[in-house]
Amino acid sequence: MSGNEQPLSVFIVDDEPPARNRLRDVLNDCSEKLPLKIVGEASNGSEALDMLMELPVDVVLLDIRMPQMDGIELSQHLLKLPKPPVIIFTTAYDEYAIKAFELHAVDYLLKPIRLARLFEALTRARNAVPVKNEVLQELSREPRKNLSSHERGKIHLIPIGQVLYLRAELKYITVRTVEREYLIEESLAALEKEFAARFVRIHRNCLVAKEAIEGFVRGGEDSAESAGWMVKLKGLGELLAISRRQQHIVKEFG
Amino acid sequence: MIKERSIKQNDATDALPNFRNIGITLRILLISNGMALLLALSQASGWADVPQRIMQIIMLLTPILLSTLLLLWAAQPWLDQLDYWRGVFAVTMTVAMLTLGIYYLGGELYHPFFGDNVHFDAARYVILSMMVSGILLMYFRLRTLALSHAVHDARLQMLRARIRPHFLFNTINAVLGIVRTQPRQAETALEDMADLFRMAMADARDLVPLHKEIQLSKQYVALEQMRMGERLQVDWQMQDLPEDALIPQLLLQPLLENAVYHGIEPLPQGGIIRVILRRSGDELQLKVENPCLPRGEGRHRGNKVALSNIRERLDLLFDVEARYLVETGRDFYRVEIALPYVTVRPKLKERSS
Repeated sequence: MSGNEQPLSVFIVDDEPPARNRLRDVLNDCSEKLPLKIVGEASNGSEALDMLMELPVDVVLLDIRMPQMDGIELSQHLLKLPKPPVIIFTTAYDEYAIKAFELHAVDYLLKPIRLARLFEALTRARNAVPVKNEVLQELSREPRKNLSSHERGKIHLIPIGQVLYLRAELKYITVRTVEREYLIEESLAALEKEFAARFVRIHRNCLVAKEAIEGFVRGGEDSAESAGWMVKLKGLGELLAISRRQQHIVKEFG
Repeated sequence: MIKERSIKQNDATDALPNFRNIGITLRILLISNGMALLLALSQASGWADVPQRIMQIIMLLTPILLSTLLLLWAAQPWLDQLDYWRGVFAVTMTVAMLTLGIYYLGGELYHPFFGDNVHFDAARYVILSMMVSGILLMYFRLRTLALSHAVHDARLQMLRARIRPHFLFNTINAVLGIVRTQPRQAETALEDMADLFRMAMADARDLVPLHKEIQLSKQYVALEQMRMGERLQVDWQMQDLPEDALIPQLLLQPLLENAVYHGIEPLPQGGIIRVILRRSGDELQLKVENPCLPRGEGRHRGNKVALSNIRERLDLLFDVEARYLVETGRDFYRVEIALPYVTVRPKLKERSS
């Protein structure tokens, strides 16, 4: 392999400065035996994502418990990079995550970080494959705070609170915010399950944010499919059709 | 260790209730009057008869009850020195003598209802009184027994739950992170940790000086600030706190730990924890308030263990004299505790030495 002569590029993500210090110290100790380079660090998920889009790296050392966007969510977004890095999770104490890591052979480091363990994990990282998205989904106990859309080599984070509706269209799902639309490649059923508290299904192919519902109007054709009711959303001119099967939501949210 | 614990457990169950405790007094009043009601029901010939029966019983019961409580309140220091069974005997005798005395002193007030059988009545009231006090003493003994098991459970739980493993491992990691560049700060951090864990491993039933608990809580905050930096701030508001006040150990620190773990850590910008400590009359008031993520935005759940632990200890130590209030707002969380201002380790029902 040609990459073997290149030093391993490593990126650190942790919200706590002393924890990043510790990783830097131990990585420096590792570099005596294993050629590596610390190429950057970030203290939160979105900062890390921004930096990693510009700067592809081999390995990301990623803390699980961080405010706002946790490590599991960040790793899901990182998977959409053209060349996703190998992720090694770090955690002080998280029985749930550790059980899942063991089950799916995902590499992780326990804090306090130890030289020998870090060295071992980095050595393996060269040949490791990125963790599968399904595994990460299983690992996340909470719905993501953002959706991510991949556009011309860039990843856009869409805060879930800004999403008005999600509509399935052929291969993609359209994510609509007040400003614009994004396309994502996920399944509507999975999204419905993940964000059950936030969205309600109004049609076979459409989930609407409960908070965004302004009201209901009559309109559209009255057919076997459609009941003739439409949802009006806050800040959006567009009306969305409610299917006959989902007609009960007019009563629930009206 | 095990031996020491079992000795303490014996002490705990074989003690009379503290008759100077409001909670105990209330329970005695409630149960005695409840039994009077039952007696009235069983004697009455019809619904219309019940109030009159109650009146009869209460007229006799109330003076006996009140004078007994008063006498026991006064005799508490002396009763404390007796061993359990002598104490039981003394209490029962007190009740019997008071019943007899009040019955005869009451004269016409009590006799007319029951005709000539004055002495029979006297004997039967003495027997009833002794039975009721026996039942009450048995109830208090069982209650202490039940609660003292809870203390030991809480104590065992303490080592696992009071100081979170999350905190332990993160702090060790942070100390390792600064040890090469700031060895002095690392030293202080390890010293603070030692103090914190020493306290966590001490006897959970002990009271400690308030200023010591404040000191320890500040050490804890310093450790968390080492990790979280500017994001964690604590606003201490303390007004004329008495120097000599005693509080249960590790009462304040777990409240702060909860505030950090559930409140500040998940907030990207961090926040300020407000700690308000003050004395109001013969009460100490503690208030810990923290901002938190709005509900439904990934706020952690499950801070029940630490809080129920505190509640249980307060219950055991002060019964109804301590109050406990939790308020959960949309984006804040507040715990308020009021406990009696004590300066000497009280003779509590679970300790006799």
